[in-house]
Amino acid sequence: MLSYTLKRLLTLLPTLIAASILVFLFVHLIPGDPAAVLLGDTATPQEIAALTREMGLDKPLWQQYTLWLSEVAKGNLGQSIFFKAPVTSIIADGAQTSILLATMTIFWIIIFGIPIGVLSATRQGSWVDQLTSGLAMFFASVPTFWLGLYLILIFAVGLGWFPSSGFPSIFDEGGISNLRYLLLPSLTLAAPNAALIIRLVRASMLDISREDHVRTARAKGLHPTKVAIKHVFRNALITVVAAFGFTFAALVSEAVVTETVFSLPGIGRLVVQSILRRDYPVIQGVILVIVVLYLFINLLVDLAYAMLDPRVSLK
Amino acid sequence: MIFLSRLKAFASSRVLATLGMVWLGVIIFAAVTAPLLAPFDPTEIDPIARLSEPGSLYWFGTDHFGRDTFSRALFGARMAILIGSGSVIVALLLGGLVGMLSAYFTTLGHVFMRIVDVLMAFPALLLALVLMTLLERSVINTILVIGIVYASTTARILFGMTLKLKNEVFVDAARCSGAGHISLLFRHILPNLISPLLVQASFIFAFAQLQSAALDFLGLGLPPEMASWGNMLSEERIYVTRAPWLLIFPGALIILSVFSMNLVGDAMRDSIDPRFKNDIAGV
Amino acid sequence: MALLEVKNLSVAIRQKQGLITVVDNLSFHVDENETLGIVGESGCGKSLTALSIMGLLQGSQVRITEGTVCFDGVDLLILGPAERRAIMGDQMAMIFQEPMTSLNPVYRVGDQIVEVLLQHLKLSRAAAKQRTLELLDLVRIPNPILQINSYPHQMSGGQRQRIMIAMALACSPRILIADEPTTALDVTVQKEVLDLMGELQRHTGTAIVLISHDLGVIAQTCDRVAVMYRGKIVETAATKALFADIRHPYTKGLLNSLPLVDGDVEWLDTIPGQVPGIETVLPGCAFQPRCAFADERCSYEKPNDIRVAGGHWARCHYAGQST
Ligand SMILES: Nc1ncnc2c1ncn2[C@@H]1O[C@H](COP(=O)(O)OP(=O)(O)O)[C@@H](O)[C@H]1O
Ligand SMILES: [Mg+2]
Repeated sequence: MLSYTLKRLLTLLPTLIAASILVFLFVHLIPGDPAAVLLGDTATPQEIAALTREMGLDKPLWQQYTLWLSEVAKGNLGQSIFFKAPVTSIIADGAQTSILLATMTIFWIIIFGIPIGVLSATRQGSWVDQLTSGLAMFFASVPTFWLGLYLILIFAVGLGWFPSSGFPSIFDEGGISNLRYLLLPSLTLAAPNAALIIRLVRASMLDISREDHVRTARAKGLHPTKVAIKHVFRNALITVVAAFGFTFAALVSEAVVTETVFSLPGIGRLVVQSILRRDYPVIQGVILVIVVLYLFINLLVDLAYAMLDPRVSLK
Repeated sequence: MIFLSRLKAFASSRVLATLGMVWLGVIIFAAVTAPLLAPFDPTEIDPIARLSEPGSLYWFGTDHFGRDTFSRALFGARMAILIGSGSVIVALLLGGLVGMLSAYFTTLGHVFMRIVDVLMAFPALLLALVLMTLLERSVINTILVIGIVYASTTARILFGMTLKLKNEVFVDAARCSGAGHISLLFRHILPNLISPLLVQASFIFAFAQLQSAALDFLGLGLPPEMASWGNMLSEERIYVTRAPWLLIFPGALIILSVFSMNLVGDAMRDSIDPRFKNDIAGV
Repeated sequence: MALLEVKNLSVAIRQKQGLITVVDNLSFHVDENETLGIVGESGCGKSLTALSIMGLLQGSQVRITEGTVCFDGVDLLILGPAERRAIMGDQMAMIFQEPMTSLNPVYRVGDQIVEVLLQHLKLSRAAAKQRTLELLDLVRIPNPILQINSYPHQMSGGQRQRIMIAMALACSPRILIADEPTTALDVTVQKEVLDLMGELQRHTGTAIVLISHDLGVIAQTCDRVAVMYRGKIVETAATKALFADIRHPYTKGLLNSLPLVDGDVEWLDTIPGQVPGIETVLPGCAFQPRCAFADERCSYEKPNDIRVAGGHWARCHYAGQST
């Protein structure tokens, strides 16, 4: 297992390096002197000269890249133009919200997506199946922000059950109960992704149930529920887990929108605001963090896949 | 004639997908005839009629500038079709070419597919956001950005399919009878990929609607003065408590369009070559 | 009373043209301790028959339209699902044609055998594992203690089919239905597996229904033979009696198409023509289009079963005349 992990890590390395080069080049693609771009409109010529020297912006590109990379490795992602503070700490400020939001969302996705998908597959063609398949397709077609706005309108403004926006830290007054601020956002974010998982679980279970070994399982006289869970779902899980990297990408994309709708102080809203503010160092930093995270998640998915499917050689 | 009868067979076996096609027809019709059908100028501001409820004069009500929502929705159909088909064309041309060439010319493929891998390391909307940061807000740029984002998925899919086809007997046969690379790729392999490409096209069309609406909403899509369904939602969202219909109509139009194209894509995927069925992810 | 008695079994599949009968009014029986061979070209409805008996037909396309399947005097077709499951895998077991795909790839082969033992016998997990080791030994899996932990993909086709046999025999069934158990295997492995089945049968006394498209396989292993053509049994007799006096032209065709020596050639198609598509309705004898002996009558009149001798029947107008 360890050697397999290392091998997967090694194959990820080129992608990681290439992605980091793209992220690095981002600042250079913006019209204008990179130092001026990084410092914003208010920078003085002295400041620009200082940053040019510090980041080696007068040196060849590849030297700039290695310099930048070594700073990144030390945890230095540069200085925010808007906040006048290190990008690393600004990202860290948003991390709590985003991580909690993602965790709650994944919880909903699993709680709703998997059982409903299994139900839908085992009742193929019944009204239950048609209803859930229809609903799943519907939720996969709804713009996240539209769903969020209506959830706010109904449950926050209309019924007053939940707060409509913001998220005080769970370490502030209110503690854990502050999580209720994340309930509507996480449900909003979960809806399209749970829909995806429902469709995926259903489709792969129907695929598996046509395989010969399921007939063998039925020939043993096992209860249909046992066949469905132990033989069909267990095998379908391999496909579902393999697709989780994809789900994570969708989650990140939609989190950007959801955090904006609910005015949550997370990394997603940070990136949108930074784009509108032309706060390039922050944009660059966030993108880098997300890409690394995404690749890491894909690595985990690969490992989970290898553990679930004995046919994958771990050598 | 053959085409018509096949269309009829498709329609009778897949009621829902047919409804999806019909809806697509409706928005294309609305897009083409918007200036004729629209009862008002979509940009005409009428301060007296601000936030009017839907009624016989303003079918979908008016927005906070007093502009007629129905007329704007009609013109929004233009944007929907434009962005949808534009993104499909960019994604399929770019992604299709890269995928096919990579599978066919192995060395080139190594380089190309690594680039695709890297692009796929960026979550879709995030990549779109970053690209939009570098570009002006415009129709062309929105199309390009969404097209490029889905080009990488398309390239990946077409790469796999072309690899499968490349080793089939009919390709060997064509090669032996002297067909050149170009002819092999475009006369022999490509025709087999048309139906999977159509499936992919309908899914990209659906995705493009959602992505462009999200970009509009974040203020990074089409220019704000353009009447797109996403912009309508984005501008009027603060009035939602006073005028809930302002979000209902454009939202419903987006949902219907995405839903329709997903239905069409699903149905087409069910009827294509089983070898390719699992290659296309869809919604 | 026969152990298994199939009467007037018809199975139809639903297609665009409507219901098509693919197993047509089939009747046969299997006694205790006996091996019945069912032979016929591929597509003639052998698998559907086997699956109907086991209760494994699935999907809305296929259904049993009439008939009874009596096992030990009880009509299985009217049993409730729970009662049916209590028999499946316990008193009745089945081996399938595709050893490569018939085992679940994510579980160890040992666990898959343990599963059926725990389902039907009141055993502890340890006892079930012990019994599994014995079963692996019985089907001649080398080194059972090691192989019990193997995954299916680590085994060859022949070994997997042995695992399937072990699984089928786990609860000492009274009848074993083997649907082309050796078709997917190499010729040498094929012989080993068949020998193993024969030996196990002498050992355990399990009745076997052996399904094959290969008359040679059937001739070597079965006590009685039923020849199937397009959903119907066209000739049935004790093996010896049959080969001594074949009456149906189709059976003759099958025999003639066997290679003379045990070579690489498995199937020499000397019966002219193809089986007419299942949707084609023929007014007369279904074999008439391909039959060298057919005449006018065969094309409009369906033949009935004609008794040749005790226990030897043939469905041919001219079965009464020895050739
Ligand atoms: N699930 C099914 N759906 C539709 N047709 C089927 C199905 N199973 C079998 N058939 C058809 O029924 C006929 C008999 O099949 P089968 O019993 O598998 O033949 P055999 O086992 O003798 O080769 C074939 O023509 C086959 O195509
Ligand atoms: Mg068969």
